[in-house]
Amino acid sequence: MKAIHILAIALVPLGIIIAAVPENTTRPYKLTADELLIEVTEGRQFMSPDEIAKMLIEKDPSLQLIDIRSKDQFEKFSLPNAINVPLESLLSAEYEEVLNQDIKLNVFYSNSSNDANQAWMIMRQLGYKNNYVLQGGLNYWAETILKPEKPAEGSPNEELAKYNFRMGASQALGGGTEAASAGPAAKSGAPVPVIQKIKKKKGAAGGC
Amino acid sequence: MTKDKEPKKYMNPYLGGVLLGLVLVFAFWVSGRGLGASGAPKSLIIAGVEAIAPAHAKTATFYKEYGSSKENPLKAWLVFEMLGVVVGGFISGAIAGRLKFTVEKVPKITNKTRIIFAVLGGVLFGFGAQLGRGCTSGSALTGMSVLSVGGFVTMAAIFGTAFGLAYFARKLWI
Amino acid sequence: MGPLAVNEIISPETNLFFAFIIGIAFGFVLESNGFSSSRRLAGMFYGYDTTVLKVFFTAALTGMLGILFLSLFGWLDLSLIYINPTFLWSAIGGGVIMGAGFIMGGYCPGTSFCAAAIGKLDAMAFIGGIFLGIFIFAEGYPLWEGFYKAKNMGSPLMNEIIGTSRGVMTLMIIIVALAMFWVGEWSEKKFARDDYKINQH
Repeated sequence: MKAIHILAIALVPLGIIIAAVPENTTRPYKLTADELLIEVTEGRQFMSPDEIAKMLIEKDPSLQLIDIRSKDQFEKFSLPNAINVPLESLLSAEYEEVLNQDIKLNVFYSNSSNDANQAWMIMRQLGYKNNYVLQGGLNYWAETILKPEKPAEGSPNEELAKYNFRMGASQALGGGTEAASAGPAAKSGAPVPVIQKIKKKKGAAGGC
Repeated sequence: MTKDKEPKKYMNPYLGGVLLGLVLVFAFWVSGRGLGASGAPKSLIIAGVEAIAPAHAKTATFYKEYGSSKENPLKAWLVFEMLGVVVGGFISGAIAGRLKFTVEKVPKITNKTRIIFAVLGGVLFGFGAQLGRGCTSGSALTGMSVLSVGGFVTMAAIFGTAFGLAYFARKLWI
Repeated sequence: MGPLAVNEIISPETNLFFAFIIGIAFGFVLESNGFSSSRRLAGMFYGYDTTVLKVFFTAALTGMLGILFLSLFGWLDLSLIYINPTFLWSAIGGGVIMGAGFIMGGYCPGTSFCAAAIGKLDAMAFIGGIFLGIFIFAEGYPLWEGFYKAKNMGSPLMNEIIGTSRGVMTLMIIIVALAMFWVGEWSEKKFARDDYKINQH
């Protein structure tokens, strides 16, 4: 058989297949299941309300709160300077730049930790860095910062210090409590996470 | 008694095309880019000018844009690729017994004519490849395989012009 | 997942090594198909040898299919490969000048290096011309910089212009190319020359 016939018999079916099958647009996972399990069990993604409150009071510019509830819920109440990325739209192109970056610390929050944690997991699997979760969500935030509970008499000093800090914080951030002295900012347990630089993966260069 | 050596046949062109295409795909898979050619002499020129006349290279726009302020021009993908092309072509020619210093031309014209037009053709191609951001390998072949509009446009321009001027250059070839 | 160099599965130095290997394969295939012969290359435009057409388009099609299938299997990330940008005026202008150079010199840069490797003196002359041409472009750059950078359309794809998918576009080009090959084979019989043997399998 002439070569051109062989070529046609090879190319046309391949062409038909490639024309018929939809393009592969999946985004690959960067972490293996094992790697993700380690991170999840260590709980490194959580930031406590105290840490967030401290950053808010100090007006730390590297903080970016992200509200992943629906638009309505966001408009009813949101944390200072938070932006709204509803969970369903997490993967849409318009938020890619906000979520995949190395300039700020993104902290997801929702009413409890659940949705925010799920958002974090998806982002982590795509290999994005600098995303965290507000521990306990808005519910815990309300308990600790907005209406902190006064610790019982005889509690250790750190508990008292934490309480004073939270009272001050709730004043500064607008919670309804009795007047209290703005105590010195309590030392939160873990240090504030460092922003990790990501290597922007640009495409291959070519030319000429 | 001398045996008349039958010149070795060339590969079937369709097979050759498939093989070339596979090399192209391999290049994309490994390096994220396709083949190319004209960028290699460009890197050499830039490196040469920077070595011989560094002051000029610092001020002239072209060298500033493409020079070693970004990266050593000789450490370019295309330079290594073209070195490979020379080696590969040599190996293939050696296997087929086609190694020979010669001027290839139609019998009707002289060697001198052929060489003069070869140089002229080279000048035009060197200039045009810079302007068009690639030659037939880089812009046309590679560009077409990624469905780039620029690739198709350049390919159409090259082949269209060559066909159009073929009549005027016919003395060179037929 | 490819491209290996961009995803940092191989180092930049390894990338350069592979460039060399790829070049060897490139040069070998070119020479084995007779692209080291200026008469063969020019023969495309007089009809007596359409090897250029067949090799070129078959390679482009194989490339298209290969890239799309690799992406389908998840082995190649299409968003990371280099797609050459379209500067409309300079693409056309450069192409016209290159076409003139092609019909005069009988080579293009890649094939000229390949031909020089087997000893063709006219190819070496062509290469000398290339260096001169690039030098002229570089020195006179401010004169044509405007034209060179005009009408930057980004990196549009052919299928985007027609409004279809890459796969469908590939299939269309396959059909067109096969038609061109048939015409090429006919032309080779019609315009055959006495002093020239195509000499291929």
